[in-house]
Amino acid sequence: MNVIETSGLGKRYGSTWVLHECTLAIPAGHVAALVGPNGAGKTTLLNLAVGLADPTAGAVTVLGGKPAGSPAALDSIAFVAQDTPLYKNLPAADMLHLTANLNRRFDQHFAEARLGELGIPLNRKAGKLSGGQQAQLALTVALARRPRLLVLDEPVAMLDPVARHDFMATVLTAAADDGVSVVLSSHVLAELERVADYLILLSRGRVQVAGEVEDLLASHRVLTGPAAEASKYAERPVVHVRRGQAQAHLLVRATVDDPVPPGWEAHPVGLEELTLAYLREPGAGALPGPARSRNTQPSEVTQ
Amino acid sequence: MVIDKSNGAPGGGAGASPAGGGLYSDQHLRVSDAEREAATGRLAEHFAAGRLDQAEFDDRVGRAMSARTRADLNGLFADLPETGSPAVPELPRGGGSTPGGGPRGPGSPIEFRLDAASGVPTYLQLVQQVEHALRLGYLKPGDQLPKVRDVVASLAINPNTVLKAYKELETKGLTAGRPGQGTFIQATLSQVALPELTGLHKSLLGWLTTAEAAGLDQDGIVALFTSALRDFHERRGGTGDRRGAASAETEGVA
Repeated sequence: MNVIETSGLGKRYGSTWVLHECTLAIPAGHVAALVGPNGAGKTTLLNLAVGLADPTAGAVTVLGGKPAGSPAALDSIAFVAQDTPLYKNLPAADMLHLTANLNRRFDQHFAEARLGELGIPLNRKAGKLSGGQQAQLALTVALARRPRLLVLDEPVAMLDPVARHDFMATVLTAAADDGVSVVLSSHVLAELERVADYLILLSRGRVQVAGEVEDLLASHRVLTGPAAEASKYAERPVVHVRRGQAQAHLLVRATVDDPVPPGWEAHPVGLEELTLAYLREPGAGALPGPARSRNTQPSEVTQ
Repeated sequence: MVIDKSNGAPGGGAGASPAGGGLYSDQHLRVSDAEREAATGRLAEHFAAGRLDQAEFDDRVGRAMSARTRADLNGLFADLPETGSPAVPELPRGGGSTPGGGPRGPGSPIEFRLDAASGVPTYLQLVQQVEHALRLGYLKPGDQLPKVRDVVASLAINPNTVLKAYKELETKGLTAGRPGQGTFIQATLSQVALPELTGLHKSLLGWLTTAEAAGLDQDGIVALFTSALRDFHERRGGTGDRRGAASAETEGVA
C-alpha cells in the first residue's frame, strides 16, 4: 500500500506552478523525508496530500487510493503544520477536549498520559508553553487521533536540539509501537540519516530523487582521484563533481560491484552528502522509485 | 521432582520471566534452547559467586541442557538464592554505572549510544556495541537487549534501523528473538573472565607505556601490534585458527 500517491500532480498560484508534473508513490511502513530547497513545493505537496488545498492538475490519493481530503482519508491522517498551530489561549486540557469533539476517534487516555510523561500541565495555556512543549502538545493531539499516516511539515525547524531529539523520539516511537507511517518535510539534513528510511527530494516543483534510503546509498559511491582525469570518467553516470587543483571527488551512480578506474578510490556515501549533491545539481535525478518494480536496477538517470 | 516456586522466586536473570511469576511459570511448558542457555548463564553466576562447586555446577548444567519443561529448569534453582536483577552484585557488569545511578530493573544490561561523526552506519554502530559488550563481558548468554521501542525512544532513530541491527546479530548467531519478549543473547564472544581481562588490560597498559617511552606514537603502536598479532597467528599455523566458535561464526557472516 502507498500512503501517498500522486500522478501528474500540479498546483498553480497565479501564473506560477509551485508543483508541476509531480508523480510519486510513498510506500507504507516508512518514515519518509521530503527534502528540497525553499520554494521547491514541499509544503504545497503536503497540503495537497492532506486535503488542505486542491490540485490544479493531476491527482493525489492517500492510504491505498483514498482521494485526498475525503472523509475516509481525513479519518486516518493526522497533520501537524509548519508552525505547530494551537489555540494559544486554550489550556492544554481544552485543546484535547476540542480535538476530541472535532474528531470521530480520539484517545483521551493516551493524550493525557503522554502529556503527563512530558510534564506538560493540563491547565497551562498553550501559548504559555515552551516551543518544545507546544510542538509536543500539537504532536500529542495528532497522535491521539490514532492516525495511520502522520504528516509533519518542518516539525523541528524551530526547536532547540534537545526538544528536537525528544520530538523525533515521540514520532519514531509511534512508528515503532503502532506502525504509523510518517511523512515529514525537513531542512535538517544531518538528522535525516537516523530518522528517515525513505527519501523524496523535490526540486523546482518536481520529484528529483525518490527511493528507500538503503537503496539510494547502495547505488551511489564517491570516487576520488586526479582532477585531470575527472572529465574522462564515463563508466557510470556522474551526479556531481567537486574539483580541486589536483584532486576531484565524483558522486556517481554505482554500486560496490562496479569497477573503479585505476588511480581512483571509491568510498561509500552518506545520506547528507548524497542529498547535498543532488540539491546542487537540480538537473540530475534518481528515481528507482516505489512506483516501479522493486527488482528494477536503479540505474536510469537523466543528465 | 518439582519444587513449589510460589513466591520469592528469582526474578529471572534475563528479565524474561513474567512479572510476579516464578523463574519460569507455566511449569508444564516445553523450554527452548534459548531458555536452557539462559538457565546455564544463571548457573554460571551462582558458580562464580561460590554457591555451587565445580561438580554441582557441571551436573546442573548437564541437567539444564537436557531439561524438557520449565519445571525441570526451576528444579535446578530450588536451593539457590535469587540472582536478583541481571546486575549480579558480585560482578561489575557495566550496570554499576547505569546512567541515573538507580538500581536496574529487569531489562538490558547495556545502553546504546550513537556517534554521528563516526561515519559508521547507525545499524552497524548498534551491532558493534553489542559485540563489544560481549567481548568485554558486559553481556552474557541470557541477557536481554534493549527493546526496539526503547532504543527508538532514547536515540530518536528509525525503528527499522534497530530491527536491521538485531536481525544482523541474529544472523551472526549471537542473539535469538523470543516472540513477545524481546531479543536475548545466546552466544558469547567473551573468551576470558572479567578479572583476567582486567589483568590483561593492565599488562597491556604497561607495555604501552614502554612503547611510548621508546618513542612510538599511536599509529606506530597500532602498526606494531597488528604486525605482531599477524606473526603470532602465522606461527601458530594459519589465520583461520582463531579461538571461539562464536567469533568464527561472526567472521563467516560478516
